[in-house]
Amino acid sequence: MSDNRRQVLDMLAGGQISVEEADRLIAAIEEGPTPAAATGLAERPATAPRYLRVIVNAVDEDEGPIKVNVRAPLQLLRAGVRLASLIPPQAQDEVNTALRQHGVGFDLSQIKPENLDELIDHLGDLTVDVDGERNNMKVRVFCE
Amino acid sequence: MIPLAAVVAVRRGRSSSGFRFWIPVPLVLVWLLALPFLVLALPIFFIACLASRVNPFRALWILWQLLCALSTTRVSVEHRAASILVHIF
Repeated sequence: MSDNRRQVLDMLAGGQISVEEADRLIAAIEEGPTPAAATGLAERPATAPRYLRVIVNAVDEDEGPIKVNVRAPLQLLRAGVRLASLIPPQAQDEVNTALRQHGVGFDLSQIKPENLDELIDHLGDLTVDVDGERNNMKVRVFCE
Repeated sequence: MIPLAAVVAVRRGRSSSGFRFWIPVPLVLVWLLALPFLVLALPIFFIACLASRVNPFRALWILWQLLCALSTTRVSVEHRAASILVHIF
């Protein structure tokens, strides 16, 4: 019996975990480490993304291949969203009213800089892949 | 730090014999040239901010941050007929 399995059973015996949790833990132990963990990739500290990349590849029938490659620093995005805080209050009211009329119950005044920072911090996990049939267009948005 | 230089590269045609531009833009000179105009525009900016009930100092700080964040931006568009690259350092 491996040390990990014995530890789980000890925790179960001690009442620290439930039977279901013990079952899940033992199943995870039996599955072994993931390939990423086995190669040490999981232990590598994740670096914070610095750039937002937008890559567009398209093949136009008349114009031929078109490539667009944008690398924008996330800092620029962060500074850009802070511009929202400069919207005058009366304009905010108008925007809120227009949003409500279109069924979006969103209040611009509720957006705080902390929320925006949090949003951008989590953009690192974002990947958008769009494959369009027209012009064989491929759009990829990700952070690096 | 605000960006101090940029490069604009333009190429006509896909082949190496195509027409090419490689324009280094000393942004530091652009900022220096724009500085007197910015100083002149500052009172108007302050009045506009106060009229729209926006803190002018906060607005200036955010615009400054936006300018600083432009560094390392890179945009390239490639096409059969031409391609353009803009890189801000």
